[in-house]
Amino acid sequence: MTKLSVQHLGKQYTQAALPAVEDVSFELENGEILALVGPSGCGKTTTLRMIAGLERPDAGMICLNGQVVASESRFMPPEQRGVGMVFQDHALFPHLNVFENIAFGLRGRKPAETKQVVGEMLDLVGLASLAKRFPHALSGGERQRVALARALAPRPVLVLMDEPFSSLDTDLRLVMREQVRSLIKVMHATVIFVTHDQEEALYMGDRLAVFQQGRLEQIGTPEQIFQASATRFVAAFMGNSSFLPGEVTLDGIHTEIGLLRQPVDFPVTARVEVAIRADDVDFRSDPQGNSIIVDRIFRGMQNIYHLQLDSGLLLQAFKEHTLVLPIGERVQTVISAGHPLCVFHEVDCV
Amino acid sequence: MLKRGKTLMLPAWLSRYIDVRHAVRRRTSLAFPLSLAGLAGLVALFVAIPVVYIFVRAAGADLDDWQRLLQARIWKLLGNTLLLVAAVTGGTLLIGVSMAWLTERTDLPGRKILRWMFAMPLAIPAYIGGIVHLALLRPRGGLLPQMLENLFGQPVLTPSPLGFFGAAFILTLFTFPYVYLLSGAAFRSQHASLEESARMLGYNAWQAVFFVTLPALRPGLLAGALLVALDILGEYGTVALLRYETFSSAIFVQLSGRYDRSAAAVLSGVLVTLAMIILWTELRVQGQARFTQMDSSWRPAPLAALGRWRYLMLIVALGVVFTSLLVPVGVLLAWSVQSFLDPQTLQEVFRTGSRGFGSFAWNSLWTSTLAALVAVTLSLPVALFSVRHSGWISRFIARFCQVGYAIPGVVIALSLVLLVNRAVPILYATPFVVVIAYVLRHMPQAVRASEAALNQLSPALEEAARISGLTAFQAFRHVTLPLILPGLLAGGALVFLTSLKELPATLLLRPAGFDTLAVRVWVWAADGFYVQAAPAALFLVLASALPLFFLLRREQIFK
Repeated sequence: MTKLSVQHLGKQYTQAALPAVEDVSFELENGEILALVGPSGCGKTTTLRMIAGLERPDAGMICLNGQVVASESRFMPPEQRGVGMVFQDHALFPHLNVFENIAFGLRGRKPAETKQVVGEMLDLVGLASLAKRFPHALSGGERQRVALARALAPRPVLVLMDEPFSSLDTDLRLVMREQVRSLIKVMHATVIFVTHDQEEALYMGDRLAVFQQGRLEQIGTPEQIFQASATRFVAAFMGNSSFLPGEVTLDGIHTEIGLLRQPVDFPVTARVEVAIRADDVDFRSDPQGNSIIVDRIFRGMQNIYHLQLDSGLLLQAFKEHTLVLPIGERVQTVISAGHPLCVFHEVDCV
Repeated sequence: MLKRGKTLMLPAWLSRYIDVRHAVRRRTSLAFPLSLAGLAGLVALFVAIPVVYIFVRAAGADLDDWQRLLQARIWKLLGNTLLLVAAVTGGTLLIGVSMAWLTERTDLPGRKILRWMFAMPLAIPAYIGGIVHLALLRPRGGLLPQMLENLFGQPVLTPSPLGFFGAAFILTLFTFPYVYLLSGAAFRSQHASLEESARMLGYNAWQAVFFVTLPALRPGLLAGALLVALDILGEYGTVALLRYETFSSAIFVQLSGRYDRSAAAVLSGVLVTLAMIILWTELRVQGQARFTQMDSSWRPAPLAALGRWRYLMLIVALGVVFTSLLVPVGVLLAWSVQSFLDPQTLQEVFRTGSRGFGSFAWNSLWTSTLAALVAVTLSLPVALFSVRHSGWISRFIARFCQVGYAIPGVVIALSLVLLVNRAVPILYATPFVVVIAYVLRHMPQAVRASEAALNQLSPALEEAARISGLTAFQAFRHVTLPLILPGLLAGGALVFLTSLKELPATLLLRPAGFDTLAVRVWVWAADGFYVQAAPAALFLVLASALPLFFLLRREQIFK
């Protein structure tokens, strides 16, 4: 069942030259987690805030549970939408304790019912013992969980999360996102999750929506986004790709480091670029090779070699952590992907 | 980053509460230089002596005195004082918070200028405001009733500014800027997401203000309210002018008229106890208050659209500005012009020698300047000790230096009269006693300002200087001092401003013939020579407005 439908959404701030959000459309199924991802200022947070009702769209339509909540002629205020939200800074009410914070959205219920619901939420997030604490006496992770419990307690039709982990330390962030994801799945909540961290988006999202400069570049499963990037931007942003120029021939794509045998939709002699990641490249020592090692970064489980092709282009390649080659050594670099690579029209400026 | 957030400095001295979020994370070293601790201790001792002495005298008073006062006076005075304190605190909260909300959180037209207008009454001493309103509204002979009588041909009933309601009205009008500045800063520093999350949880815009915005600011507002309460507890000029008897005015009468020092000491003991309770509550509130929502993701809250209320609200705001700023300044201006036009009054005002205008102005300026210098200098060791060597001893000393807030001017005067007479008779009946009174009374502001300035400075700078081979004193002299100097100057400006306005201690302690602007205005106005008093009053207001302007300019919102 479709929970949320966003159609041709647009927002233009008066003082800005470019629109913050332009012609964004997507749909969200019941129980699904959609991660909005993109560099800062790409329009993902503005999109989220328009769905929440905290910003008013200039164009397009938002339907929640089949009901129009925002369109050219209609704007439903946030308090009537029944949407929950977890803020970047958690926004816990400093004058209320943990219990009262979670109970805040349960106004109008009987005290016994409120107590029961809050109790359940506290158990779910594992904070039953801290019910009487005030926000300033909580750790970052605890605040995060209270914020989530507060958003989920009124059983919202949709939960919005605006970079909820960005204020946490790296270690805690990894732990929290596991806990939060399993909690969301236990409660069958429908969630839109905003982040600028690609890895976090790949982990959290059932589907990903990649934004750039106010536009939705691609929407799809993490695998689709990663393996079949629709645009050059998506390939670059989601996978740290390098771009290897080449020319389409009858056999495949002819590049500086050999022929890539792969059917493509481009006409013969078209100039293209192949998006290539460190795991798609291999090399061996060869005094007559086509490139030299310019740097080696030891990452514990593997070595990342930076290779400079004779044309000057830089590529990265993974190698096992035991293989240590000196910088400056000449090597023969080859493509070793074993799966189709993404190919784009060559961009003039590159 | 050398210094963080220069914003919100003035509120930081009014209340340390706001300052918490700017504080650079402190590193404390357990070992502290004994000389610094000794200096800070001496300052605390200097502040302590007059307070302790009052309690000693109060306790040492005859049982008869106590009984006599307990039977008749004290309960009535207590009732009067508490009633006034409660009314004014409530009134300033209502006006201060609502005006702050209007200028910081709504699309009220002209809110940039209104911010200045709401802060400026701080430059007008409440008794001068009282004099103007009294002259305008007096039941018999007031300008407004007379005008109405001429207009309608018969007397029209107008509200009298005398008594409880008048005193509450005047004091509310001229102390609300404290609450306004504190709550304005609090409104601005609050995260937009707080109100937004209330909206997401099903509360409409008004409910979000009442259930989240205001309650979340409660500690800050409470701290402001308690400062006002302390101020009103010690207020003398206005209540005496409007003939409403409180502890302060009763003590003043005992001291000046009947000269019953024993009774005055008993009353002072009760008054100071009362003030101590309020001060203790204020310090506790500040200690508990913590901002949890402050970090880099702060963005200003969106302004609420007032819609059709917009112009009604503007009229209310202008009404406040009119009564608290435009009327007093306007009337003083008109009277001043009038006095300049009348040769005889002009001669009265500018009589040469020790009775001339120049001499009052000079006396006001030098005593206030000296008090500011001394207070800031004394506050330095205390602030250095408490900020750089945080521990229970240094905290106790810093807290103790706040005690000046709790000793009203009349009580300081009483204590100094008795003490100086006994201990250092050479100072007796010199203007320096007046300066000592100013320093004692306004020490807390200087300490808070110096603490705020030091708090914004990373200790790493001093450490870097020490590593580079400077001694502790050299590091302070060449690194710390130049960097905190603007903050110290501002603290000095605050002490100067409040000393300039001080009335009761000056009246009681000044040597015969030593007049300041405040004293002259008071004496002339008490005799009904309003026009004659106006140039001095106007000069006093302008001289106060200058440092106030400097203080406000340091705030982000007044730029």
